[in-house]
Amino acid sequence: MVETGHFALVLAFALSLVQMLLPLVGARSGNRRLMAVGGPVAVTGFALTALSFAALAGAYAGSDFSVANVWENSHSLQPMIYKITGTWGNHEGSMLLWVLILTFFGALVAVFGSNLPETLKANVLAVQGTIGAAFFLFILTTSNPFIRLNPAPIEGRDLNPVLQDLGLAIHPPLLYLGYVGFSICFSFSVAALIEGRIDASWARWVRPWTLVAWMFLTGGIAMGSYWAYYELGWGGFWFWDPVENASFMPWLAGTALLHSAIVMEKRSALKIWTLLLAILTFSLSLLGTFLVRSGVLTSVHAFATDPARGVFILCILTLFIGGSLALFALRASRLTAGGLFHPISREGALVLNNLFLTTATATVLVGTLYPLVLEATTGGKISVGAPFFDLTFGPLMLPLLAIVPFGPLLAWKRGDILAASQRLMAAFALAIAAMLVAGLFIDGGSVFAALGVGLAVWLVAGALTDLAVKSGVGSVTPAVMLRRFAGLPRSVFGTALAHLGLGLTLLGIVGTLSFGTEKILTMRAGETVDLSGHTLRFEGLFPRKGPNFTEDRGRFLLISNGNADGEITSAKRFYPARQTVTTESGIRTLGLSQLYLSLGDEGKDGSVVVRLWWKPLVTLIWGGGLVMMGGAAMSLLDRRLRVGAPARRRKPAAAAASASPT
Amino acid sequence: MLFWVIAAILTLGASLAVLLPLAGGTKGSSAAGDHDLEVYRDQLTELDRDMARGLIQPAEAEEARAEIGRRILRLGSASQTGAAAPRPSRAARLVATAAVLAVPLVSWGLYGELGSPDLPSQPLAERLAKSPADSSVDELVARAEAHLAANPSDGKGWDVLAPVYLRLQRYTDAVTAYRNAIRLDGDSAVRQAGLGEAIANAAGGIVSAEAQDAFEAALKLDPANAKANFYLAMGLAQEGKKAEAAAAWQKMLGQLPPDSPWRSAVQQALAETTGPAVAAGTPANGPDAQALEAAQQMSPQDRQAMIETMVAGLDDRLKQNPRDEEGWMRLIRSYVVLGKADQARDALGRAVAVFGADSEQAKKFTAFAASLGVTATE
Amino acid sequence: MTRKQKRLSVIIAGLAFLGAAAGLTFYALGQKASYFYMPADLATATVQPGQRIRLGGLVEKGTIVRSQGATVAFSVTDTQKSVKVTYTGILPDLFREEQGVITEGAFGPDGVFVADSVLAKHDERYMPKEVADGLKAKGVWQESKSQ
Repeated sequence: MVETGHFALVLAFALSLVQMLLPLVGARSGNRRLMAVGGPVAVTGFALTALSFAALAGAYAGSDFSVANVWENSHSLQPMIYKITGTWGNHEGSMLLWVLILTFFGALVAVFGSNLPETLKANVLAVQGTIGAAFFLFILTTSNPFIRLNPAPIEGRDLNPVLQDLGLAIHPPLLYLGYVGFSICFSFSVAALIEGRIDASWARWVRPWTLVAWMFLTGGIAMGSYWAYYELGWGGFWFWDPVENASFMPWLAGTALLHSAIVMEKRSALKIWTLLLAILTFSLSLLGTFLVRSGVLTSVHAFATDPARGVFILCILTLFIGGSLALFALRASRLTAGGLFHPISREGALVLNNLFLTTATATVLVGTLYPLVLEATTGGKISVGAPFFDLTFGPLMLPLLAIVPFGPLLAWKRGDILAASQRLMAAFALAIAAMLVAGLFIDGGSVFAALGVGLAVWLVAGALTDLAVKSGVGSVTPAVMLRRFAGLPRSVFGTALAHLGLGLTLLGIVGTLSFGTEKILTMRAGETVDLSGHTLRFEGLFPRKGPNFTEDRGRFLLISNGNADGEITSAKRFYPARQTVTTESGIRTLGLSQLYLSLGDEGKDGSVVVRLWWKPLVTLIWGGGLVMMGGAAMSLLDRRLRVGAPARRRKPAAAAASASPT
Repeated sequence: MLFWVIAAILTLGASLAVLLPLAGGTKGSSAAGDHDLEVYRDQLTELDRDMARGLIQPAEAEEARAEIGRRILRLGSASQTGAAAPRPSRAARLVATAAVLAVPLVSWGLYGELGSPDLPSQPLAERLAKSPADSSVDELVARAEAHLAANPSDGKGWDVLAPVYLRLQRYTDAVTAYRNAIRLDGDSAVRQAGLGEAIANAAGGIVSAEAQDAFEAALKLDPANAKANFYLAMGLAQEGKKAEAAAAWQKMLGQLPPDSPWRSAVQQALAETTGPAVAAGTPANGPDAQALEAAQQMSPQDRQAMIETMVAGLDDRLKQNPRDEEGWMRLIRSYVVLGKADQARDALGRAVAVFGADSEQAKKFTAFAASLGVTATE
Repeated sequence: MTRKQKRLSVIIAGLAFLGAAAGLTFYALGQKASYFYMPADLATATVQPGQRIRLGGLVEKGTIVRSQGATVAFSVTDTQKSVKVTYTGILPDLFREEQGVITEGAFGPDGVFVADSVLAKHDERYMPKEVADGLKAKGVWQESKSQ
């Protein structure tokens, strides 16, 4: 079975070569049979990759230590769930997951792309095939998960304990769905450049992919952030770690792409820019893969430091980014410009959004790469952390967030900023009120806190205002209003939800940073501690044996209003296979807020260092992410995105009639 | 065999995915222009909807309509020009043939390089279910470990496993296993002596105080335990008390039955301790029981060679991982025992350099070396 | 304003915005990036009390002192020089004697480094990269191939 998987992988590589060449040649020479090869090959390639992945997962599930990759990253005593998730908890396996998702998306284009123009589909599949071929080759030559050991060792070396966690089991697949989803946008852009023309419906095909990729990337980042929050035991949710930035940059660029694609789709404007943005977004995804996988950054993500891999990925990076940008430089002038618009208009607002987002992406890029460049050139070692990003990324985001509610309320082509402002009066008043309350009446309030809370409320209220205005609140009868509300396009709900989610995330961040409290102390069994109105009694340390670890559990009794209100446990775990200690934090969710505690070292006298946090509204950080994902899903359901195929039932005459000015 | 059948079927399927579309006819499909027209038409209806909802002002809507109208007109003129239907060329057929051939060639060629087709899958459960006779020692140990993980209080199991660990050179595991056996099944001279041996070997052959305790406990239970007596004497020799060690071994020789396997070991040790010039008292890197036995059966030259190899190995290890205090002391002593005073001095110099001349360790090294008659030259 | 002037002013505003963002970025890089030092580097570099830096090295053996509460004092060494560090909080799980660490913080007026974060590697097979590089440069530590 293992060797079948290995063979399927090699076969998938061979097919990706075919997919890379035949449709492209077909599209160039107008040979429809050659173009037709793309679809079936893409689907077969996906099936083979899936078979290969299943074989590896099977080897993990069965603890087949004759596979070197399994031996290095698994252990027979691990719970089954972590045996399986261990498949992608390592470099080789995660790269296999990467191509699995890549071929999956390629197969989707092949299956659902029947309404695409033939040459465009062929070119898109060819570009997908090229990316696939490069990564298959990378896996087979430098990161082959199917290397065998003979004789097989009898016990594995265990998965890195910090990765033995459900959150981290879903984080990489989500993230990769996002990263790799942008490859479709990239392929569409490069295909358009190869053809030298952009179909009017181009944006309609690209936008759903952008939405899907963005949705998963949002989920992946939120999941990763939550994982770091509870698993690393420091209570932080974002560290501006280069690896986090690597996923954040495509997200920022993807958000910009999402918005510029709207303009392109509705107004056929910003074509060239959107194309460039699609290329850049996937380039940043590749850069993220390079940073994480090459071992340039030593962190928990860099499973191994192997220069061959780094050089190979760098070559892939140069090939795709350089190649696509060169093609862009050559062909972009052949693309025609689109409709005109006034600076103050929906289009103008979306351009402003793009300006801010791409600039913000650039600052994150500089902050992430500068230390690497400095070290490579001068050997100097610096670290760029939160203070840098607070000073650069922060000031860029604040004005952007402030103008978000205006965007959806502005009309296309020429908007009326005054009218929009009037409609937002209520939201504005609400935001000011929230600001005052936060600044004056809540402990720990500061200028930053007041501003942040005000901004968050402004975003949430603005998003709701958008829905209210569009369903005609205040100007029509409730019955009409309800009907209008129900009849609003799904994309309007999508926009409102996404902006609302953004506001919630901001509220969570501000709440946690400004109003959170923290205590570090040593405790003995029986002692109690108060934190922001909650009382905790330390019950003591209790040893326990897990499947592949032993742990000392610190049990804490939460006392609310004098009554026991459940237990919170935090543990120090020891994994003998890797001789590693991890801290399992104890978290109790109370409403939207959380009590978070983590165990430190044990003193000689039986006391233990305990660190406690009260994190108000912290769950909103990730809850907002979920709402944003919901917004993207809502937009995906919009009927507009299904348009683009020539409808044979209608006669061209009808179209001509409607085309004449009415 | 089954694998090759599957591989052949997969290859066939993949080739068909390339071949069928090439061979099959193509259905008529729409030109790109039709797609565009549909989009423009939708944009127009959407414009009306947006206007109804006040998302665009009437004047701008008019303008936008004109923009879209112009695009539709452009579309009409473009679609008339570019409608040449090219025929399949010879080059295309060549490319297609190459592609069909490439699939099996690339996949079988590359797999031949990378794969291990003869190696079956070996899931752990299957390996453990095999009959014990076919299992390797590792597999037997794993099975015993699995059993003990489930029944950690099975003293007999630990007792069986401990000497196996010792033989496999898994000394730390042996120490744990012996301790567990003693805890669960009680003291016995054999177990205590085994524990001592495991501790000593885990420490690289040094009979430490901890090991000594174990051996002494063994002697308390069975004063005639050969292993304990032998190692205790070895400990004496390691401390430099060669006369006492020799006496102990002499005494053992007197007491051991004539067919005891220890007899030759003791004689060898005795010969080395009391022997002239080239006496190798302590094997430098604490070889395990098997290696010891092997050494005892070798000719003196071979034994010397083996010991020197081991010392060289220790030296190498210290180059890689220099912060190993005990390692350095062992190395210095080994060179002294081998009669290589220059190298002993060199090792002392390097050891001092690693920890810094003023460090506590350096003083310790110097004192230790001085006790062996080695002084730093610089 | 004519159409042309309007367009020009939009472009100028855009460029000014980008210029401001770029300026801010480079200012922030100069001000907010913290430099990495090993103890021996501090002899030659001038680091003001209060300036944020990263200090890396090995935790010196036998120097870890836990006082009342959660404050821990230890020395970070590169085997040539060592620096006293105090830290209040929970040390990472992999914090051990003679293991590589990176501490971030600033020197107090008394010359003791007050760290507000202490990082050890997640995967103990690796040293923090900066520490490993630094120790290699000093010839103290060599990568062992056996691991």
